Amino acid sequence: MTLGDALFGAFALPFMGRALFVMLVLAIVAGVIGVLVNLRGLEFITDGLTHAVFPGLAIGLALGGTAGLIPGAAVAALAAALVLTWLDRAGITSDAAIAIVLTATFSIGVIVVSRSDDYAGELEALLFGRVLTVPPEQLVPLVGVSLLALLAIGVTMKQQLLRAFDPAGSRAMGDSALGLDLVLNAAVALVVVAASATIGSLLVLALLIVPGAVARLVTVRLWWLFPIAAAFAAVAAWLGLAANYAVSLGAGVDLPAGSTIVAVFVLGYGLVLAIALLAGRLARRRRTERTDRAATTVTTATAGEAA
Amino acid sequence: MTSMTDPVLELRGAAFTHPGGSGVAGLDFAIAPGEAVALVGPNGAGKSTLLKGLLGQVPKTAGRVRIAGSEHAANGMIGFLPQTAELDPEFPITLEQVVMQGRYRRLGLFRWPGRADREAVRRAIESVGLAPLAKRRYGELSGGQRQRGLLARALASEPVLLLLDEPFNGLDQPNRDALIDTLRRLKTERVAVLVSTHDLELARQVCDAVLFVNREQLAYGPVDEVLTLDNVQECFEGVEVEVDEHTLVVPGHEGH
Repeated sequence: MTLGDALFGAFALPFMGRALFVMLVLAIVAGVIGVLVNLRGLEFITDGLTHAVFPGLAIGLALGGTAGLIPGAAVAALAAALVLTWLDRAGITSDAAIAIVLTATFSIGVIVVSRSDDYAGELEALLFGRVLTVPPEQLVPLVGVSLLALLAIGVTMKQQLLRAFDPAGSRAMGDSALGLDLVLNAAVALVVVAASATIGSLLVLALLIVPGAVARLVTVRLWWLFPIAAAFAAVAAWLGLAANYAVSLGAGVDLPAGSTIVAVFVLGYGLVLAIALLAGRLARRRRTERTDRAATTVTTATAGEAA
Repeated sequence: MTSMTDPVLELRGAAFTHPGGSGVAGLDFAIAPGEAVALVGPNGAGKSTLLKGLLGQVPKTAGRVRIAGSEHAANGMIGFLPQTAELDPEFPITLEQVVMQGRYRRLGLFRWPGRADREAVRRAIESVGLAPLAKRRYGELSGGQRQRGLLARALASEPVLLLLDEPFNGLDQPNRDALIDTLRRLKTERVAVLVSTHDLELARQVCDAVLFVNREQLAYGPVDEVLTLDNVQECFEGVEVEVDEHTLVVPGHEGH
């Protein structure tokens, strides 16, 4: 198998093409929304949503099979978005309270799944997703949910950025903090729903957090953050799927696809971080060298005077 | 129809009260276009409460408030400069983008900035004297420049009424002078200004009238008539004030 086969040829297979399509849609939407999550510092609520969605997935699966996954997750995610928005506004963000809520929802999910015939298989699919076996009939709801999230954020984008930058100013200009928070949390919840059904509820977080963090490392220009985050996520998703295909077919090692994608996301972040640190150090060294030269000149001059 | 001399802001027996119970009452004054009023009172006198009440953030509990002849201010009619804005200096945003936020209220949810908005932003930045720094990242500006940047944001909405909460706190002389210049020019453009301040010298320099408050309106009128020792004493009775780096306690009236 050549590199070209892994990067391009593989996606001629229907299941690989479908996986790529779903991952690209998710990556772009999660990338854009992830920038706002980063600017608002909402990583915590996002983490909460990914856990809270789990029982929804489990109950949806128990009631309606794979077709019940998205409706179940959507109900759980929107309920969780409401609860977490309220907790955040009430100032209840103590780790203990949140941990209790999250572990409670998680245990409910596990109990529901444990009633099914294929306990281990179902649990693994819910936690780690089934990106390579996304049923064709799920494409429309997945894309629909993702686009709804993107639309909600697109419409409120100006106000969301104002609230992220200057919460007091946003209120003074008459924007509703509660309204904006609900829209953003609901959009995050919708992405979590779409992504849970594909890469699993444990790995969604990477999709929402990593691209935004990468964009912040790459640029300080506001409107560049969004395309950079989306592009990084899209490329990482593509390379992740390709790497998974290459390793599975080429080396005969059967890696879970969702985890491989997330690993590529994190590797990409590490790479960008290393480059950013290196570039920062080089810039600093150039500055110090200039100051050092200036200092040397001064020292020489003083030494000359002393002599 | 409102004529040119109708007041921009008119309060008749108005009170604003926080849900907690504290507030400011007995407000009875009017500001005409191009007029600047200094809002003077000790800390905790309700100056910020009055300004937030006008913005609709603190409930009105008595009386009548009219802004440009209407009970409800239209979008972008009021510009507001908060006392302190604790903004993340690492936030990736330029001065120009911050000032554009002042247009959002006019734009609403569905419209994006157009040529008229960019032009208003350019004028607002120019009017606070920061034109060369428009593309600079906001976090890289000095404290005084950030304050002027926020003033530009308040001006970008082309308000008829400008509310400023202690805008001179912590400003160095050049930034202070620039702010005074801007306020004088706004007056010639017929903007009504209500500025809360501890700085009585500022009241003399740019304001036409003074409004003394301490939980209630104590005095209101032209600077020459109202900015008297008696009124200052009554308003600041027993309060520590700083004058030229000296702290002094304002004594009460004799016979009180």
